[in-house]
Amino acid sequence: MKTDDFLSGISRSLGRDGAPEITPDSATHLALNARQALSRARAVERDITERADELLAEMEVSAAEANWHVFRAGSRREAAEYIRRVAQDMEARTMLRSTHSALNALDLEGEMYGTGISLEVMALDDDEEGEARETMRADFREKVIAADIGITGVDYAIAETGSAVLLPRKGVSRVVSLVPPVHIAVVESGQVLPSLDELFTLRRQDFLDGNLGSYMNLISGPSRSADIEYQLVTGVHGPGEVHMVLVG
Amino acid sequence: MQVKTRQFNTAAEEAIQDEKVQANLLGLYGGFHQARLDASAATTDWAALQERGRAIKAHTIANLDVYLRMAEENVRKAGGKVFFARDSEEATRYVTELAKAKAVKTVVKSKSMVSEEMGLNEALESVGVESVETDLGEYIIQLAGEAPFHIIAPAIHKSREDVAELFEDKLDTPYNPDIDALAQEARRQLREKFIAADMGVTGANFIVAETGTLVLVTNEGNGRMCTSMPRIHVAITGMEKVVPSIEDMGIMLRLLIRSATGQRISSYVTAVTGPRKADDEDGPEEFHLVIVDNGRSRLLADPDLREALYCLRCGACLNACPVYRKVGGHSYGWVYPGPIGAIVSPMLTNLSDAKDLPYASSLCGACKEACPVKINLPRMLLYLRHQLAEGDKYPQHRTSTGKERLAMKAWRVASSNPVAMGIAGSVGRALQPLAGKVGGAKSPIGAWTRHRALPKIAARPFRKRWKA
Repeated sequence: MKTDDFLSGISRSLGRDGAPEITPDSATHLALNARQALSRARAVERDITERADELLAEMEVSAAEANWHVFRAGSRREAAEYIRRVAQDMEARTMLRSTHSALNALDLEGEMYGTGISLEVMALDDDEEGEARETMRADFREKVIAADIGITGVDYAIAETGSAVLLPRKGVSRVVSLVPPVHIAVVESGQVLPSLDELFTLRRQDFLDGNLGSYMNLISGPSRSADIEYQLVTGVHGPGEVHMVLVG
Repeated sequence: MQVKTRQFNTAAEEAIQDEKVQANLLGLYGGFHQARLDASAATTDWAALQERGRAIKAHTIANLDVYLRMAEENVRKAGGKVFFARDSEEATRYVTELAKAKAVKTVVKSKSMVSEEMGLNEALESVGVESVETDLGEYIIQLAGEAPFHIIAPAIHKSREDVAELFEDKLDTPYNPDIDALAQEARRQLREKFIAADMGVTGANFIVAETGTLVLVTNEGNGRMCTSMPRIHVAITGMEKVVPSIEDMGIMLRLLIRSATGQRISSYVTAVTGPRKADDEDGPEEFHLVIVDNGRSRLLADPDLREALYCLRCGACLNACPVYRKVGGHSYGWVYPGPIGAIVSPMLTNLSDAKDLPYASSLCGACKEACPVKINLPRMLLYLRHQLAEGDKYPQHRTSTGKERLAMKAWRVASSNPVAMGIAGSVGRALQPLAGKVGGAKSPIGAWTRHRALPKIAARPFRKRWKA
């Protein structure tokens, strides 16, 4: 059906001739103008920096409640060692990682050297274009399907819900945190938001800045289902085992 | 989907007699229902959150034309395509023709109640496209050839043994009633489909008008798979799912998820804005959003029923309803069961056929109490009963005869006027000796007197004794 016909039908059902110009009701955040949105976003940014320690401590609790295996690393070195131990304990053969700066800083390659476990960065090469780029995409797809562990940083973490938030960035695949049976997320101090509200305040500002991106994933523990007899099982389609490493 | 709303009474009878179904239904109250109560009690200012959620929905639905236009423009700006479908046939045609045009062989589906309205799986199969449900519960009922039993737990009527037998029968796997093993078997089977699929079909929990974003809530990760692995993503949603701002999502997600499963949040909340961008590592090349009316305009156009469109499809009213918990989901005969189904199904299909649904309630109010956006379900159930009996909004669906309406009108006059009441009383006293004949099984009021006797009208009415 034509869009205009459909929408004028909706107007008629509402008892009016056409869609009027409206001022968004104060019920919705759409009522906030760009200046208000910006000042709210700035306030959130300040707050999460000032309260970084406190929020990281809250995150440690809520992530465990969401069934992440939580490891509080005192240093980057400890974080890298923890990841190596997880891989060795499960006798992993292949690991893929994103290019989040939190991971680049860990020197995981150095940590894994000599373990016999392969670690590859899953990022398209900018020099490759057209056909070659598509071949590379297909190649990564094969690799992620076969991988034992996917490792990512996060864009944010949410203390209210124990969530890791992943946004599209160069070198961050949608599926490296989804398809392998184990996902490890590395969270740094200063990345933890108090609640969902602060996340969406920042995302609204991203949108106003033209940086919303094509997706956002909130990951809050392992893949779960209670579809048979309300019995909780994990690892139905996504990872059944998830680790959150808190650094700082 | 085939409409079987006329069979409510017989289907309900069968469900009540079925011990297995009754045993499986028992878990709802201690399970989801209790989990919701705990979650809302643990949420600061839950009541205020409900008010805000309701206000957002009320404002959006009252300006649905404005917000649908905004959503359409912004999905388009993000590189997606939007198709508005008047009914399920139009929506189905769009999806099947897209599948044919893009040489799609396999479709993976994440849960979408609207696609159940459309009977999309069958339609795709009929044009030679394999269509596989990937939510564990939906996968089970697809294998069994059944309809969802519950909005968020479609296969909750089946025991582990039922599922094990089903898998043995349909998938040729050895019988194993261990729930973990069953889930792992489904993972193995469906992983192959995710890898092979050309098209992913999902529903939508919310559409954000401001940004053109689709928000999906899942626990298993199948929603993420369907929006990440295949080269085409098609989302199908009812037109009422639109929300103005991305910043409203905090409120809406808390209300939906805590009311549905009692979780603080589901394992995965996925927001999708258009297809993948040039710089993205992966993701679908195409994004299509199909926005479906399919009778929802009738709810919108009737001010007494409009708030049914505030529904978030959390399923809380089902779990709270003493009738649903006995008759189960299939009795309601269409996609939406329970108290909300008793309002939505008749209006989206045919009120006359579904005339028993508004009566499938004791009007105890538990559904209204449970609703995260405080939809007044008992009021609307009563309204539909009134319309079926003697209302003038949907005269073609009235179930009462002209005589009945006349009799009721006479009663209304008599009972609201002392003089008329006195006359009616005298007439009644005079005629009472004949009542045995009047009340016979074949008489006009036979259905009323078959199982009860008319009380003897007092010789001296109460009104007169009161005066004395």
